[in-house]
Amino acid sequence: MTAALADFSTAPKPPARRWPSPLMLGLIALLIVAHVFAWQGTDVSIKSLIEGRKGMADFLDEAIPLDLTWSTVLRPGLEAALVTLYIGLLGTTLSIPFALGMGMLASRATTPNTVLYQATRSILSFLRSVPDVVFALIFVCAVGLGPFAGVLALVFHNTGVMGKLWAEAMEETDLGPRDVLRIGGANGVQTALHAVLPTSLPQLVGLLLYRFDVNVRSSLVLGLVGAGGIGFLINEAIKTFKFDVMATHILIVLVLVIAVDQVSAQVRKRIGA
Amino acid sequence: MTLMATPEIRTPVGAVALRIRGLRKTFGTKQVLKGVDLDLHAGEFVTLLGANGSGKSTALKSIVGLQTADEGLIEVDGAPATADPTKTAMVFQQIHLVKRRSVLDNVCAGALGRLPMWQSLHPWLFPAALRQEAMHCLDRVGLADRASEPAGKLSGGQQQRVAIARALCQRAKVVLADEPVSALDPNASEQVLALLAELATEGLGVLAVLHQPELAMKYSSRLIGLNKGVVEFDLPTPEVDMSMVDALYSGDQK
Ligand SMILES: Nc1ncnc2c1ncn2[C@@H]1O[C@H](COP(=O)(O)OP(=O)(O)OP(=O)(O)O)[C@@H](O)[C@H]1O
Ligand SMILES: [Mg+2]
Repeated sequence: MTAALADFSTAPKPPARRWPSPLMLGLIALLIVAHVFAWQGTDVSIKSLIEGRKGMADFLDEAIPLDLTWSTVLRPGLEAALVTLYIGLLGTTLSIPFALGMGMLASRATTPNTVLYQATRSILSFLRSVPDVVFALIFVCAVGLGPFAGVLALVFHNTGVMGKLWAEAMEETDLGPRDVLRIGGANGVQTALHAVLPTSLPQLVGLLLYRFDVNVRSSLVLGLVGAGGIGFLINEAIKTFKFDVMATHILIVLVLVIAVDQVSAQVRKRIGA
Repeated sequence: MTLMATPEIRTPVGAVALRIRGLRKTFGTKQVLKGVDLDLHAGEFVTLLGANGSGKSTALKSIVGLQTADEGLIEVDGAPATADPTKTAMVFQQIHLVKRRSVLDNVCAGALGRLPMWQSLHPWLFPAALRQEAMHCLDRVGLADRASEPAGKLSGGQQQRVAIARALCQRAKVVLADEPVSALDPNASEQVLALLAELATEGLGVLAVLHQPELAMKYSSRLIGLNKGVVEFDLPTPEVDMSMVDALYSGDQK
């Protein structure tokens, strides 16, 4: 009540306000311009969105009822979905040794020297910046159409992503245990195996499950470019205008993706990562 | 005024375990250690006292190589400290055990410096003799019955004793302790310091940093006062006056 009447004029003056700098204002202006160009460059149009309702209705008309023929649609769909799952699983698992080795070199907590550290980080960032679809196209050319190309694509891309995520997780762990062992004469490999890795294990496993989840979803897209699995079947259904078949496959995909996501989330919650 | 000192404190008799001469360290323009000399004998428990920022941790870190001093001589057991890192162990306020691993595995890890590579790939490969020695070390700190539990399950005081057992398993000659009891309750603090003092009487050299002058006087045989990187006093505990200690903390804290 009395606060409103109190006189604070004897208190020290507050420091001067900090307004955004001209550089900051320039950057904001630049960002706005970029968005205007992007809006035009991508033909964003509310009108087509509204008219698209009709196209959507036509599609649904053709898609429903779903084609649930067991021998020609449902069974091949489920088998292909399993292949998609396998691609995601193997792509993740086979990248573990590479991601672990390179992640350890690319983490300040475990790297033996800065040259290796920088070199490995560059390799990882290259692997990460090449989309898995591009890897898949390359490997489809190399080893032919089929799931194996998808596995290879995921191994390469996932090594880049998981290697970096793991390196960061190791850097974020408390480095005290590592220092204690190092003081006692343990070498770099020993401190990694007995301090850094066991301390960061829950985080590493959590990231692994997260990547598995992402990779299963990626392997769907890889199928679209010929790398096997249910994506491949969806692609064929589109090409032959069998929308009722495609809708069945999409339904299978949804079930698969949700199931993997749930399992991965549950396990991550259980291990507290 | 030195009423806190207990009468049974012995004067050092062992050989010099740690010798420091002319230790200097500068961070940027700030001189943190300005020529520190220090001797620690086997069988001694010496405490380093000093205000925040006086350079205590920097001194200990320089000894074990977590910091590189600009200048100065550091010898452990008559040889340069870098010659054999297994001779020096350090315990920290934050304890730094791997909490997910068992107490026994944590203690065994102290011996990694002398273990061949293939036996140190995983705790499963630790040799039986090492596990037995680690049990002896755990027994020494009174925690043999907790060997199989995850280290994180133990109380703070117990974890600090496990860290000391790890130092023993390392077969260290010198144990440095940077504020080992600052995070512990009074009872656990007394237990940990009594343990360190007892290990000292058995021939270990212990150099501790403590922020509790009363505990320092009760357990250490010698006190070193560090003030802004300079050794202000280095005296057997009975000769230290409380006013000297108070003076260490009264300077303007920058
Ligand atoms: N890595 C570092 N880089 C820059 N300055 C540092 C570094 N480590 C310590 N210092 C500075 O050196 C001075 C001494 O630090 P030190 O940690 O040795 O003090 P301390 O005596 O252990 O203090 P405390 O009682 O707070 O633990 C402080 O002013 C600190 O800010
Ligand atoms: Mg300190």
